[in-house]
Amino acid sequence: MKTHSQKPFYISNVIVAIMVVAFMIISLFPFFWILITSFKPSSEIFGTTAFQVISKDPTWENYFVVIFDKNIIKSVFNSLIVAGSTTIYVVIIASLSAYIIARFTFTGKSLLMGIVLSVSMFPQMIVVGPIFNMFYKLGILNSYFLALAYSTITFPTAVWIMVAHFKSVPLSIEEAARIDGCSPWQTLWKIVFPVASSGVATTAIMTFIAAWNEYLLAITLNVNKEYQTVPVAINALRTQYSVFWGQITAATVLVVIPTIIIVLLFQKKIVGGISNGAVKE
Amino acid sequence: MKKLNWKTSLFLLPLVIMLATFSFYPIISSFVYSFFDYQTNDQSIANLYTTNHFNAKLFYEDCDYLLFYIPDDAALVDEADRAQFENIMDSIRTNMAPYKDKDTVIRLNKADIARLKTFVRTTQNDLNTIYQNNTERQFYNKENNQLLLNEMKQCFITPNNVGFKNYQALVHDPRFWTSIKNTLVFTIISVFFEFLIGMGLALVMARAIKGIGSIRTAALIPWAIPTAVSALIWSYLYDGSSGIIAHIFAQIGLIASPQSMLLTAQGAMSAAILADIWKTAPYMALLLLAGLEVIDRGLYESASLDGCNKVQTFFKITFPLLKPSILVALLLRTLDAFRVYDLLAILTGGGPGGATETVSIYSYKVLVGQSNYGYGSAIIIGMFICVALIATIFVKILGTDISN
Amino acid sequence: MKKILTGMLIAISTMGMVFAQGAGETASSGMTPKKTVLKLAVQADSTPATQSVIDAFNASQDTYTVQWVDMTNDSNAMREQLLTSLKSGSSDYDVLSMDVVWAGEFAASGYIEPLDVRMKNDGLKVSQFNAGSMASGSYNAKQYVLPFFPDLGVLFFRSDIVSTSDAEKLRSGNYTWQDLADMAAMYQGQGGTKDGFAFEAKLGEGLICTANEFTSNWKDLSGGLAIMKQLADSSVTPADTLNYAGGDVNNNFIKGNSVFSRNWPYQFGQIKVNGTISQDQVDIAPLPGGSTVGGWILGINAQSKHKDGAWQLIKFIATEKGQKLMSTNGGYLPGYNATLTDPEVLAANLLLSKEGFKNALKHTIARPVTPTYSKVSDEIQQSIHKYLSGSASLDDTVKAVQGDLAE
Repeated sequence: MKTHSQKPFYISNVIVAIMVVAFMIISLFPFFWILITSFKPSSEIFGTTAFQVISKDPTWENYFVVIFDKNIIKSVFNSLIVAGSTTIYVVIIASLSAYIIARFTFTGKSLLMGIVLSVSMFPQMIVVGPIFNMFYKLGILNSYFLALAYSTITFPTAVWIMVAHFKSVPLSIEEAARIDGCSPWQTLWKIVFPVASSGVATTAIMTFIAAWNEYLLAITLNVNKEYQTVPVAINALRTQYSVFWGQITAATVLVVIPTIIIVLLFQKKIVGGISNGAVKE
Repeated sequence: MKKLNWKTSLFLLPLVIMLATFSFYPIISSFVYSFFDYQTNDQSIANLYTTNHFNAKLFYEDCDYLLFYIPDDAALVDEADRAQFENIMDSIRTNMAPYKDKDTVIRLNKADIARLKTFVRTTQNDLNTIYQNNTERQFYNKENNQLLLNEMKQCFITPNNVGFKNYQALVHDPRFWTSIKNTLVFTIISVFFEFLIGMGLALVMARAIKGIGSIRTAALIPWAIPTAVSALIWSYLYDGSSGIIAHIFAQIGLIASPQSMLLTAQGAMSAAILADIWKTAPYMALLLLAGLEVIDRGLYESASLDGCNKVQTFFKITFPLLKPSILVALLLRTLDAFRVYDLLAILTGGGPGGATETVSIYSYKVLVGQSNYGYGSAIIIGMFICVALIATIFVKILGTDISN
Repeated sequence: MKKILTGMLIAISTMGMVFAQGAGETASSGMTPKKTVLKLAVQADSTPATQSVIDAFNASQDTYTVQWVDMTNDSNAMREQLLTSLKSGSSDYDVLSMDVVWAGEFAASGYIEPLDVRMKNDGLKVSQFNAGSMASGSYNAKQYVLPFFPDLGVLFFRSDIVSTSDAEKLRSGNYTWQDLADMAAMYQGQGGTKDGFAFEAKLGEGLICTANEFTSNWKDLSGGLAIMKQLADSSVTPADTLNYAGGDVNNNFIKGNSVFSRNWPYQFGQIKVNGTISQDQVDIAPLPGGSTVGGWILGINAQSKHKDGAWQLIKFIATEKGQKLMSTNGGYLPGYNATLTDPEVLAANLLLSKEGFKNALKHTIARPVTPTYSKVSDEIQQSIHKYLSGSASLDDTVKAVQGDLAE
């Protein structure tokens, strides 16, 4: 698919390139600023000295505090586990349902899709109280079972995307599978799923990020510092007396690193293309 | 399309179970709550009551306290009145006895309730008589006993289902309508720009040129940072005294002064919209990319063979084929933006003066902040109705295909 | 390949879940072989004070051991966490620390236990403790709390800039808000300062505290609010006063940017830790309208399974031993009145011997004690902030606030 330097020099390419560069600068500028702020001592973070690019007195202090006192590493670990497990079960369950919705008819199909969609019309605070009670009675507060509570915010999008991608898998492939004697289960997992891999990757990263970003349920259900996730832990650096910008920026930098790795891993798959060599027309 | 049999219908089971447990049950509960005057900071309406109940625990406690307070006052008066106090105390002891170990609210029949109500009234009258007979004395607990007896009246719980009262109040609530307006402004503007930028980004990300991997990664990072964290970052960047973005904007004249970024109504809304666009344009791009991926490459090849330039290719091939995905992406993103909570709660808290208070923030304030579960649930249901309206518009008028 | 990877991922995350759960359990069970665990819900302390009190309690008896459940430092979030937990009937916490304004709500909801009987049995009287804190926890004739550490708003001023006669006037408390505004304008710019007077006017609870003081406990609404706006609009105060929270006032004053500031006593300690000025350049004065009481108080969870132990813990923290440790190790104001005159406490706490501070302690005002405090406070904040940012008139605001207070 890579067609290189045979293309003639279009002015439009240059314009696009400039726009892309401008966009990248805007997009990444906040991170750049956060990075330099994280090395500033607290005396330089407020007032006019905040506008200096290079700190007069750079220090690793913020990082030390955040890693050793505030346990950011543990919260990153917690977030990874919770988001990871959410992604796994959501992708599996959404795939199962999406396959049926994409390929089968049944009464109440529109109703089901409507219900799935309507779930995403309610704000997340509606589930906070009842789910807390439920988790309390089951004794699973302050645990990684938080991942189960994320089903509300992740299923609708996941099902949508999977349905769209499953539908785009050519029927001929599935026909071939059925002729070969595959059961629906096998057809789904061995044939359709791999072919729709870019859709799977997209769903996976969206689910992961949705769980990774979630704040409200995390702060309600996982109060215990041992099980806090990243948004909660970083927000706790804001006390009623002062906001520890130095620490917040250092913690943000520490959180961005695994984020970059995860995005890097997924982005290739997202644009993987479909039906590559799967069907010999 | 094949027909479903029982084996394949099992495929749907996990989804249905999870949605039923974690989404449906809370939603139905909220719906039920909205028909009650259900507030947990008032023990007479701290649950859903459809029949008469009695707060035995509080009653016992208050009787206990009366017995605790009366002796100090009884010591101050003469024989006759002291005997009266004793009588009152005996009456209290008799009436409180059945409820010694009742730790909660209990059901009670009409006769018992009437009897207890009379008891409270009589006790109040008898105490008042003694106090009025001795106006020259400085009693320790005259007001205290009054407060206790008033609290005892609250122990008689009557049904708190109020039908549609919460909804009536909602319709007449200016704060609710302001929050809807704020939410719409936020949603429409941010989704619009996110769509434009996202579309452009998706087209770029779909290319297979050198270095596209790092461009894609870099473009997606803002979206991958937890919302709570980016809200904190932006509140620093927008800070009136130390924020670099506020400083730059003021220098180039976009805003009057660095402080107006977060302190004026328009400034705060723009600040929030900007932060949201920064964060979510990549997400929009991803949604659109998913749709771009599904377009057959062959069409592009034949278009370039026919001599179409880029712009023509886009509008004649890409856009029409992308339309279904665009509509779905817009729908999903609009629903998301309407429910925005984290970003605004942390960046502006709904201020200044409620200028950026969206429906989610308002409902959260009422629900958890004011412990008013009845009205808060009504706000959420009201919000759902608005969102359902939007979705209906998308489906019926714009033709988004939800059942594919 | 993919299957193997996916399988591994599932395995790892499941193992992670299981191990983490197990680790959590063994950690807590390893700590407590026979002693009953009392769970204390308190925010993180930047000083060693709270931990020292917990250690002292654990050492003082054999039946109980305290587990400090670290609550989030965002007070609003902490209140919501507590409410969610208590609403579900959880016995997860035994002793709760609450901000003074939460007690009315917690008591009315039936979440905390009244303490009168226990106090009487142990010979404790309400008058032995900080009046403002105790009043905040008294609801419907029952006393629900003991103080953890009280707080009160005071005026900080630069004694090296302000003249001796003005300083005396301030310390005595015999001055008005207008006097303060005039002084701020007069001294502004001297001694390296930029602003005259810094105070909190950001939308939040801090605004209620300052408004409370400006209006003399809501008695002089139009006068107090008018001067508040006058100050906020003028150049005497920092440009973004309307977005100034306590932390911003703190930063401003301890870096020597303003001559006067209204803040909580912790600012005095901050001067030493983070400031560019020194403590002997600063003095304290009472506020014209009285000092709003703040700080934290302790209550027993009504659903706790160890109420007797919880009472022992509260008693320890709130009386002599605990309060002395809080004061000497953390610079907190003692809530137990007898400790106010303890020589070791006075030695460790410069503030307590300052004349201005002692005067401030004599005139404290409390915010309303009501079950719907959150709603009332929210409405009053909105009204006042609208007025200060210029979108409402004074008369309308006064009417609105009066209506809210009547609730």
